[in-house]
Amino acid sequence: MFGLIGHSTSFEEARHKARSLGFEEYADGDLDMWCSAPPQLVERVSVSSPTGKTIQGAYIDSVFVPEMLRRFKTAKRKVIKAMELAQKSGINITALGGFTSIIFEDFNLLKEERVSATALDWQRFTTGNTHTAWVICRQVEENASKLGINLATAKVAVVGASGDIGSACCRWLQRSGVAELLLVARRPQPLVDLQASLGSGRILALEEALAEADVVVWVASLPQGLTIEASSLRKPCLMVDGGYPKNLDSKVVSDDVHVLKGGIVEFWQDIGWQMMEVAEMAKPQRQMFACFAEAMILDFEARHTNFSWGRNNISLESMDWVGEASLRHGFRALGLEQASPPSPGAVPAAV
Amino acid sequence: MATLETAVASPSGAEAVDSLALGLPDFSSDVYKDAYSRINAIVIEGEQEAHDNYISIGTLIPEQAEELSRLARMELKHMRGFTACANNLGVTADMPFAKQFFSPLHQNFQTALGEGKVVTCLLIQAILIEAFAISAYHIYIPVADPFARKITEGVVKDEYTHLNYGQEWLKANLDTAREELEQANRQNLPLVRKMLEQVSADASVLQMEQEDLMADFLSSYQEALVEVGFTNREIAKMAAAALVG
Repeated sequence: MFGLIGHSTSFEEARHKARSLGFEEYADGDLDMWCSAPPQLVERVSVSSPTGKTIQGAYIDSVFVPEMLRRFKTAKRKVIKAMELAQKSGINITALGGFTSIIFEDFNLLKEERVSATALDWQRFTTGNTHTAWVICRQVEENASKLGINLATAKVAVVGASGDIGSACCRWLQRSGVAELLLVARRPQPLVDLQASLGSGRILALEEALAEADVVVWVASLPQGLTIEASSLRKPCLMVDGGYPKNLDSKVVSDDVHVLKGGIVEFWQDIGWQMMEVAEMAKPQRQMFACFAEAMILDFEARHTNFSWGRNNISLESMDWVGEASLRHGFRALGLEQASPPSPGAVPAAV
Repeated sequence: MATLETAVASPSGAEAVDSLALGLPDFSSDVYKDAYSRINAIVIEGEQEAHDNYISIGTLIPEQAEELSRLARMELKHMRGFTACANNLGVTADMPFAKQFFSPLHQNFQTALGEGKVVTCLLIQAILIEAFAISAYHIYIPVADPFARKITEGVVKDEYTHLNYGQEWLKANLDTAREELEQANRQNLPLVRKMLEQVSADASVLQMEQEDLMADFLSSYQEALVEVGFTNREIAKMAAAALVG
């Protein structure tokens, strides 16, 4: 059995979701109430691969919302409690979605002693980052050519290059023969280390990289107040928004700048679930975050282990493996033709 | 699906490291002992009432009286253990406070007992109070003094047996118990939150935070209700009574 741990994208959205699912008491509750609320196993689903294999899964809402990020103990407890619930529900492999894996890694929950009464078995959890990285790279490769961008002569900027997903994307794109990688991240030292391990790539500030890049891979949360001058970008430009939350399309609107929701996959058939309705997927019955799909893939393959775990452990071999398994089980990366067009009312960020 | 470097997460993470570095409370300080006199009294009173309650429940289900009296004896043993914890710190438990603290729940139990409502009695004692005790003890153990820590670790194991007893009985009788359980939940779950609020300042001195206590209690409570046989949706609604009631 596979599990997905998710959360709402905002408190407001969470209350709306609670109301639509018939949890009126929660919909009316304030943030303090939500902080104390335990995780909920919201939904169970059955999913079949084109290979004929069928697996069972469950979606657990951690009842975490991003507004709780500033409450360290709350955020930590939300993640641990949701993991406990997954484990106690007998789920073999669970993906930590959205902010939950970020909290897990950045707050060092693995190193905490006595975080909980239940001994968590880490083997049962995955960040899903290997599949997310593979999907983002696949999105770059498949969609660049559609825009007439030849990767062999192109510059690809990776914003958030030293992160878990970002560094994996760099290694993959280097192997794919991208002409030049432009490395962008907030902290200098990890970037220098990455550059040394790659043996190539140029470290640049965000603005410098944007001005040169044919393709921009975003695997960083966008800085608040970020504005992108569409006029300063190369034309055409492919932007793969692999950050969380996905709000890049509101930052850049231009005919020659193509923004694709990164790290999203589409399944080969509808899944009878409600959970993706609220994740603002264009086709919520088929589309989902690649990290969630990783838990399904691991379950389809009966590979019940913490496949993606820790930071900067993603190898090209594991990306190859998960990529092949992904295709075999009916997932494909979201492409430009499926992306929703910018809303007509959106104001170009550069104006 | 972690993406990255998390502009948001890091600053609060850094703050938290400082608070964790504070270590354990000063068990010999007057502030600690004062708070402990009430928290410890609640625990002692809770164990005493648990003993009395299990004996009372035995009068409603005579065929279980022997088993219930066995559970009751364990509670008395716990009570003696926690009394020793107070002596060890040189604290006198504030028993009048504790009696007052438990009185609304005590009253509800006595009313149910008088009406022969075994389901309500089991919900109050074997589910609500046990689930609360288990989660509170778990939160207490890492911040307890070494003596109390050892005692409490032993107690928690027993309390699971008691929670399990209530779960099993209610599970076997769920068809007839469902309606009464839901009503008992509505009546009693909000009391737990009010009780928690009353002692949140004292608990905080012992480094037990109200939000943690509430969240852990609700998780244990939800788990117990899953075992009893309620669906996740029913449980979410029932648990909400604690939060908004």
